[in-house]
Amino acid sequence: MKSVKSLLFCISLFASAITMAETAVIVSASNANSTIDKATIAKIFLGKSKSFPDGSAATPIDQNEGSAARDSFNSAVLGKSASQLKSYWSRLIFTGKGTPPKQSGNDADVKAMVAGNAKLIGYIDASAVDESVKVVHKF
Amino acid sequence: MRLKLAAAILSSTFLTTTPVSTFANDLNINGFLSVGASMMDDNKVQIDGYDDQGGFKQDTILGLQVSKQVNDSTTVTGQLVSRGADDYNTESAWAYASYSASDDLDLRMGRLRVPFYYYSDFLEVGYAYDWVRPPAEVYAVPFSSVDGVDATYRFSLGNWDNSAQLYYGRFSPSSSGVDLKNFAGLALSGQSGDLSLRASYHRLEIESDGTGTFGATNAAAVAGIEATRAIITASGFTDAQVDNAKEDFTLSGQEIGFYGIAAGYDNGEYSAIAEYTQGFGDVPFLPTANSMLVKFAKRFDTLTTHITYTSTENELDSGINEFIQENIIQAKDKQSSIIVGARYDYDDSSALKFEVQQLTEDMRPGAGEIDETGMLYSVAIDVVF
Repeated sequence: MKSVKSLLFCISLFASAITMAETAVIVSASNANSTIDKATIAKIFLGKSKSFPDGSAATPIDQNEGSAARDSFNSAVLGKSASQLKSYWSRLIFTGKGTPPKQSGNDADVKAMVAGNAKLIGYIDASAVDESVKVVHKF
Repeated sequence: MRLKLAAAILSSTFLTTTPVSTFANDLNINGFLSVGASMMDDNKVQIDGYDDQGGFKQDTILGLQVSKQVNDSTTVTGQLVSRGADDYNTESAWAYASYSASDDLDLRMGRLRVPFYYYSDFLEVGYAYDWVRPPAEVYAVPFSSVDGVDATYRFSLGNWDNSAQLYYGRFSPSSSGVDLKNFAGLALSGQSGDLSLRASYHRLEIESDGTGTFGATNAAAVAGIEATRAIITASGFTDAQVDNAKEDFTLSGQEIGFYGIAAGYDNGEYSAIAEYTQGFGDVPFLPTANSMLVKFAKRFDTLTTHITYTSTENELDSGINEFIQENIIQAKDKQSSIIVGARYDYDDSSALKFEVQQLTEDMRPGAGEIDETGMLYSVAIDVVF
């Protein structure tokens, strides 16, 4: 009984941890765009669009393979699994029609890069957001 | 502290005075490797390069691509491909400079892939599709590059993301003895959600000096018409018709065309693709081949199962040209295959594939009407890096 209770407790903790882990799509605080919808973000990250809604140049950056934020971004925003994405990019890389966003480290690395370059757009765990970056989308 | 300040000044100077590309000086190296093994149950049907002794060479391909971003708008890319089917001769499949004229327009110059088919752009990147190899019934054009220029324009219409690719160039397949000139085409493709559509048209002019694998075959065919003049005229055709036919069957100076259409659907779980091509036609020596494929696939997480039906048939002319096509160049060709396979994504850059192909030959060049069925079993490992 006791073990069942603690198991339930663990599950509820785990479940709340999952719902808590929000991911934020970020741009530099100096970027003029305030919110960007999911479809536009997906277009930028899939190489179909090279500009922000205000027309300025946009360069997406990814977190490293295997990061939790990357997995949730891929499924929630791009709607693709890691291997579907690999297949998508392998169709573009070898034809010069596109290159995948550069793998740029973890939450802190991406935040630092985005903060310092108004062209960049990335995503990090919402808890890592600070005033150096601007959240344009959250999920 | 002082260091930090210096760095801040330095970086702000850079940011404000020099339009540095975000990722300038990046050298990108990508590659793909497929290792395949295959075996036929017997040799009653013929598939180029495969037999009942089994083999590893046919589906083994290594590709290495190096690209360098020169500045914000210019990238130089080279791709070397070594094919087992070609005795591992290394060929420069792509080598081009691309210039992005605007967000929507890319220009490329150099050696490019001819966008004949739905899978043309990544024909050799096995990882990018489910089959061990694209079905030979449809993917039949024996060369895949053109030296020239192209322009790709991307545009949106409603919910559709589209692109139009226009190219012009010239190509001489190595040791073929033919020069393909004024080689031009247009490929249109559109994508909306899970749906994609594609249409393309290509045309070129052939110059042949009568040598090389292809040129000599053509010269021999024309000589064959002369050599069998007595038989042809005995079949009810006149000498003048034979003279005309000799001209018609001479490839050099002729213009040929090719077109293809395709539709694809992929919702992540179920996917389907249908492709139809007609080419190379308009000249008697290369009878128009009507080819099609339909493929369905279902994805179970890392496992994808698929089934394909594909067929091709040569469309012969009429009159004396048909007589020559049938009896001298022996162009009767009709075959179909059912391909059943599975792909397992081992991790997100490698895949393991199994495939069984049942090939039925109704007509074979040189043998006329036959009715043979054979099986080809294949396994392959594909990686991208």
